Amino acid sequence: MSRSSRAVVTMPKTAKKGEVFSIRAIVQHDMESGFRHTEQGVRVPRDIIRSFICTYNGNEVFKADLHSGVGSNPLFIFYAKADQSGTFEFKWQGDNNYLTIVNQAITVS
Amino acid sequence: MNQRRQFIVSLTALSLCPWQSANATPSEAMQAMQAIVGKSPVNTGRVYFELPPLVESGNLVSIKFSVDSPMTPTSYVRAIHIISEANPSPNVVSCYFTPLSGKAEASTRIRLADSQRVWALAQMSDGSFWRTSVDTVVTLSACTEMV
Repeated sequence: MSRSSRAVVTMPKTAKKGEVFSIRAIVQHDMESGFRHTEQGVRVPRDIIRSFICTYNGNEVFKADLHSGVGSNPLFIFYAKADQSGTFEFKWQGDNNYLTIVNQAITVS
Repeated sequence: MNQRRQFIVSLTALSLCPWQSANATPSEAMQAMQAIVGKSPVNTGRVYFELPPLVESGNLVSIKFSVDSPMTPTSYVRAIHIISEANPSPNVVSCYFTPLSGKAEASTRIRLADSQRVWALAQMSDGSFWRTSVDTVVTLSACTEMV
C-alpha cells in the first residue's frame, strides 16, 4: 500500500482553444533531506518526493525531477495550452512508496 | 594529554564534522552541469532566473525561471535545471517542458544551505544549452540543524 497525502491543484475549469493558462499544484509532504544527523551522529534516511508529472489526456505537459534541494510541501506553478476537453492528471511519486494522484477535468470551447 | 593539546584535537574534530564539509563546491556544480550537458558548448543568457538577492530563511526560497520561446513542436524548451554551488547536493530541481506547456516558465520553492551562486541551465529542442546565474546571500541556512 502506497503512502499518500493531501494535494491541491488550482486551474481553470473552462478555457478557450489555444489559451495558455497557469496551473498551481501543491502537495503536503514533510521532507527529510537525508543530510541531517541525530545528536549521536547517525544519518537520518532521506524521505522526499522524487518526481512530479502532469499529463493532459495522456500526453505529458510538464515534468519535474525533485532532489533534496526542493522545499517541503513542493509547489509548482507552470503553464499549459488548452487543446481539447479532457482531464489533467497530476502524479507525485517519492521515497518510501509515496504516491499521490489528482485528476482535474477541463472543458475547452 | 595536556589541556592545550586536547583543545587542539577537539578543534580538528570539529572541522572534520561530516555535516560541515558535506556541501557541494562550485566545481561540483560545474561537474553536475557537465553531466547534463555532455560535450555540447554552453552559452550564457536567454534564461530568465528570478531569485531574491537576500534570503532570510534558506528553508523556503521562491524562485521563478523562464525562457522566451515559441513552444512549437519544432522549437521549444526541453528542460530547465537548477544547480546550486553550496547545497549538500548540487542538483536542486529539473523541470521538463513540452510544446503542450505553451510557455517555458515555472515557479517553485527551494532550500539554500548557504550564501551562494545558483545556476539555471536550459536545454533547447535544437540541442543547444543556455545558462544564467544569480548570487544570493542567505542569513539563516537550511540543513544545518540537528534532529
